[in-house]
Amino acid sequence: MTALPWVDIVGYWIGIFLTICCLSFLYKDNPFYKLAEHLFIGVSVGYLIVLQYGDNIEPKVVGAVFRGEADGGWWVLRLVALVLVLMMFVKVVVPRWSWLGRYPLAFVVAFYAGLQINAVAQAELGAQIKFSAGNIDAVKVDLNTAPVDALIALPGSSGLVATKLVAERAQRPFVSVDDAVTRPSLTDLERADLAGARGNLIGLDAKAAVGPGQHDAFGIVSNLLLLAGLLSSLVYFYFSIAHRGVIGGVSRFGVWVLMIGFGASFGLTVQGRISLAIGRAYDVLGRTVDPADADRIHGPVVAVVSIALIAAGIALWERRARRDAGDQAGSRGQS
Amino acid sequence: MSAEHWSAKLQRFDRRWIFLVMAVAVVVPLFVPLGLPARPDPMTKAAFNAVEALPSCGPDDVPPKCARVFVSIDLDPASTPEIEPFYRAVVLHLKRKNAKLVFATTWYQAPPLVDRYLRETIEAAIAPAGTDGYDGAADRPYRKGIDYVNLGFRDGKGAIIQAFGSDLRGAFDHRADDGTRLDRIAMLDGVNKLSDFDLIVLVSAGNPGAKEYVQYVGTRNKLPMIAACTAVSTTDLAPYYQTGQLIGLVAGMAGSAGYETLVGKPGAGTAGADVLNIGNLVVIAAIVFGNVVFFAGRRYQRRGRTS
Repeated sequence: MTALPWVDIVGYWIGIFLTICCLSFLYKDNPFYKLAEHLFIGVSVGYLIVLQYGDNIEPKVVGAVFRGEADGGWWVLRLVALVLVLMMFVKVVVPRWSWLGRYPLAFVVAFYAGLQINAVAQAELGAQIKFSAGNIDAVKVDLNTAPVDALIALPGSSGLVATKLVAERAQRPFVSVDDAVTRPSLTDLERADLAGARGNLIGLDAKAAVGPGQHDAFGIVSNLLLLAGLLSSLVYFYFSIAHRGVIGGVSRFGVWVLMIGFGASFGLTVQGRISLAIGRAYDVLGRTVDPADADRIHGPVVAVVSIALIAAGIALWERRARRDAGDQAGSRGQS
Repeated sequence: MSAEHWSAKLQRFDRRWIFLVMAVAVVVPLFVPLGLPARPDPMTKAAFNAVEALPSCGPDDVPPKCARVFVSIDLDPASTPEIEPFYRAVVLHLKRKNAKLVFATTWYQAPPLVDRYLRETIEAAIAPAGTDGYDGAADRPYRKGIDYVNLGFRDGKGAIIQAFGSDLRGAFDHRADDGTRLDRIAMLDGVNKLSDFDLIVLVSAGNPGAKEYVQYVGTRNKLPMIAACTAVSTTDLAPYYQTGQLIGLVAGMAGSAGYETLVGKPGAGTAGADVLNIGNLVVIAAIVFGNVVFFAGRRYQRRGRTS
């Protein structure tokens, strides 16, 4: 493997230093955090401008309009786009004509509204309503007749297990769930997976059977809960009736459902933030690069040096701030 | 003068102690792994099964004997800890099947990451024969233009994703990222739009990403799509999995760890999930602590008012 070039090693050092700069905000807002924040915004904007120029402006405007690289008459459309872009900047040059900037904005808003309405109607409204309006009844998967897709979805199953179950039942139909999960073509690991997923409430036994028409009680309760949650949440947002009595109770249940939803979102957000911290810790400890490169980067040493530098810097900055505050208080006292 | 109640003292508790405890909780398990199991959830298993169901072929076979898979890498450096482990695991899974891979991205922050991923996971083997702790089939370095194509970055958010669904070649000006004309790449013969692929893998950190793929092209064309997302996006995307608009969903670092377990090559996701569990315990402890202090304080105040 090629060794990491020096410029990349310096890049890692800068990355670790900036990570500590950002984390210093946990103590309080300070110049090191500001440095990292401004650097991030500056680098992002600079990178975006270069990328947009190389990917869009140069080939689609400069190349197409001024060098004639567009096919057929497409350059006219590119010219229209260029004119719309220039209209956005008119207000900078002639404030009196700032109204011209509304046309490109109107174009963009209308374009995305048209795109979005169609997409949301199909993907959100149509598909979600169809799912929510499904049958309340939940039937167990019949191991002797179910297609591979249904067998894959069972707890503890997989594509390979489902294929094996189909082959096994062709030789001899299953007489029980126990019979299915102990067939010889399954490996020990697959049997262990299926055994680990057994259970009468939400496990394999609750979802699978060896005959048709058996009901999954937990599935039915889940469907009822889904329906109750959906309707009560909608009632909460229905403001044409006073939320008192029965409607008030239903609405209150709807609030609880919404709160559970928000709680799940919040929990997952926290999980995401911890993942970010783990990612930075990985980088500092050199776990994301080859061990030989990690030895050259010396991440933990760089982190300790960065912490020392930033701590000393913040101490000096606070001392200076206190001195300045004292000077100002003194000058106010004199005046 | 009455002594201050303990709950009042703790309500002024300096929150920076929690940051410190969290920092310790994140760093210590990295040095002392606990080896907690990373069990794949049903959504992750469904994603694995979708890849598993693709046909396997030999290194020199061509489509239709080999599966063609479109991989959209829509992420930025901030989201890599959560979904990069999934990317590495799913690519190993796909390479074991010798699937032909087509890469693209709609995030302007992604191209440098994509270049690195291609160098480390596509042009080099991820798990060559004899890899420590890996018993699965070995993968091999992929050849540019024969086994994989990088289409590169295209701006335009939802609009460009819709264009992928109707005219993929046109959306990329008929050229790959390195300038090669797409009509000179044999593995792309017959590929004009997303529905020409056997599977679409979305490594998606936000907008534009899995949600836009579902909305603009997936539902309309009934595309077989699996997605990996950050934990924050899970509640947005899970309904698409329930309705079958996504046939698999890998949620956050925990989901990535589950996928690694299924592929049989534990990596950064599995190690991270260990830390994540400890971090979650700290958060739960902080919530319980905060509530105990709050309710004890309220009870004390009520007693004070009644006495």
